[in-house]
Amino acid sequence: MSILFLRLTIAFYSVGLVHSFLTIITRKKTLFRVALFGIYSGLCCHALSIFFAWRETQHLPVTNVHEAFSFFAFVIVLAFLLTYARYRLESLSIFVFPLVFILTLAANLISTPSSPQPEAFHSPLFYIHIPATFLGYAAFFLAFAAGIMYLIQEKELKRKRPQAFYYRLPSLEICDDLGYRSLSIGFPLLTIGIVAGSIWASRAWGKYWGWDPKMVWSFMTWLIYAILIHYRLSAGLRGRRAAWMSIVGFLFVLITFVGTRIQGTAHPFIRNMQ
Amino acid sequence: MNLVLVGANHKSAPVEVRERLYFPESLLPKALQELTTLYRFEEGMILSTCNRVEVLVHGLQSNDAVQRARDFLCGFHQLKMDQIQNHLYDFTQVDVVRHIFRVASSLDSMVLGEPQILGQVKSAFQTAQAVGTVAQHLNALLNRAFSVAKRVRNETAIASSAVSVSYAAVELAKKIFNELSGKTVLILGAGKMSELAARHLTSSGISHVLVWNRTYQRALEMARVFKGEAIPPEELFRHIERADIIISSTGSPSYILNRADGERIIHLRKTRPVFIIDIAVPRDVDPEINRVNNIFLYDIDDLRNVVDANLKQRQKEAVHAEEIVKEEVTAYMNQVRTLDATPTIVSLRRHWETVFKEELEKNRRHMGALSAEQESALQNLTNSLLNKILHGPTAELKQLSQDPARADQIEAIKRMLGLKDR
Repeated sequence: MSILFLRLTIAFYSVGLVHSFLTIITRKKTLFRVALFGIYSGLCCHALSIFFAWRETQHLPVTNVHEAFSFFAFVIVLAFLLTYARYRLESLSIFVFPLVFILTLAANLISTPSSPQPEAFHSPLFYIHIPATFLGYAAFFLAFAAGIMYLIQEKELKRKRPQAFYYRLPSLEICDDLGYRSLSIGFPLLTIGIVAGSIWASRAWGKYWGWDPKMVWSFMTWLIYAILIHYRLSAGLRGRRAAWMSIVGFLFVLITFVGTRIQGTAHPFIRNMQ
Repeated sequence: MNLVLVGANHKSAPVEVRERLYFPESLLPKALQELTTLYRFEEGMILSTCNRVEVLVHGLQSNDAVQRARDFLCGFHQLKMDQIQNHLYDFTQVDVVRHIFRVASSLDSMVLGEPQILGQVKSAFQTAQAVGTVAQHLNALLNRAFSVAKRVRNETAIASSAVSVSYAAVELAKKIFNELSGKTVLILGAGKMSELAARHLTSSGISHVLVWNRTYQRALEMARVFKGEAIPPEELFRHIERADIIISSTGSPSYILNRADGERIIHLRKTRPVFIIDIAVPRDVDPEINRVNNIFLYDIDDLRNVVDANLKQRQKEAVHAEEIVKEEVTAYMNQVRTLDATPTIVSLRRHWETVFKEELEKNRRHMGALSAEQESALQNLTNSLLNKILHGPTAELKQLSQDPARADQIEAIKRMLGLKDR
């Protein structure tokens, strides 16, 4: 059942993906209604897919690669729609939907049946750790997209010869504001996620912190964003440099999320401890 | 439907001709009434702007409608035909529909996509409505034209970018700051040019104006105009970091702002961006300043380049817009033609109903008294006969109405049966 809905999800997201690009290329705003239809329908199917997976496994379905990708795609779409409600930025969708599409497609292709997990996964801390971390990552992704849009638009303005992007991307202030807001939401979420994770670890395995690669990279990611936030608040860091830092920060997120995952389960150390 | 449009625009006629054809607003009611009385048109409206004068009419007698509309233009303005003949264009039928759709969508404007024309067409239509010279045909046409214009605006980006230097500056400012409300503009050099540019910015929401000039008196005067603040000549660098936008047009022979100034300003502003518009010749601001992070410098040529790029964008968008117009013209014509056949179909049915009724009454006395059941059976019989007889002709008329080349066949059928539309 879960897989069936995931297949439907990818179909709807493809509609969203194609029409997002068509909207930006042709600048016909009416086309974006079709894209939004695809996105909303996709999100509903996606929610159902996760719901059924949850019922089957009896815990939040994020314990293998397939589930994690699907869940991450889900929170990104959620974050995009929240942003869209505030900023009405169609252009953001051309960054969001390729990633969402790839994640959902990967989830479709490598769908492995989820095995029941040990007791530890029923802890309420698990339900804080995962959603908070994932939402934090989604917010950092939006900051990353905002950073790229900022750099492109800045280049157009400095070059003084308006080209395709000048007409299609939002103003510098909007990009900067979006980047800043995403950070100021994403950073507390990541912090909560890490803290909840370590308390959970101490309850389940008796120690707060194990130096497995994922934890190291998570910590470095956290550090980068901490520095960025610090300079934003204290020294008024903004614009180009802030945009670059958001981009670098998200590369760390990618390494944490995908790079370490290739080695095995969500946290390799969980496997070792069992 | 029998539409005719005669007119002149910025392409067909020079201003000396257009001004003679112009209808002042006060004379429009009189002109409209002349159209429908003296010149015997059934419906009419007049669009008169500084770039175009157009007379749009609908009338039953078609053969001399174009000539009558031209006569009206000459007659009303007391001109001789040979004075204006070469500057007038005329359209009939489907070409009128296309032309009106294009005009309302601003595809026929001097500045492609400019937004005023739609309002002008609307007010011309409202005037004609008030005078009572528009009815079924022009109502339908104009309302459709308004929705086409709306579609063009929504589905293309034809009107989305600035095509004058001043608006290009405003547009660039918005690409940097997004919202101009709450922002501060500093005017360096209180001249005509800078005043004009500042006026565009303030009408776009800039809330605070600072004026600096070599002679303090002039700065004070201009500050009063914008309800702003004058900066004493020697205090420029104490205030300059307050400005989000700087418009410079002093008569200074050398640069008054260089790269080092720019770096200091950005430092004082905690890296908040500055948009500098240098409209002075010779330039006031060292072009090197554009290399400073978060400073965006545009001189007059840069602004012109933006305008050129925007015009090219509009031309690209106009191609999409023309496609929309083409599509809408076809849709509208199909609708109108089916509408045109409707009166004929209705009167055909009435004609046969009357024939049936008369024959029925004539023969009733031979039948004696009828029961209610017999009465309704008789009614059913006539109805179903009527439907069977009319089925073929109705379908055929609808078919015919889709093809303008066969319009005369409808006329022939009408004559044959002695039908009238009304």
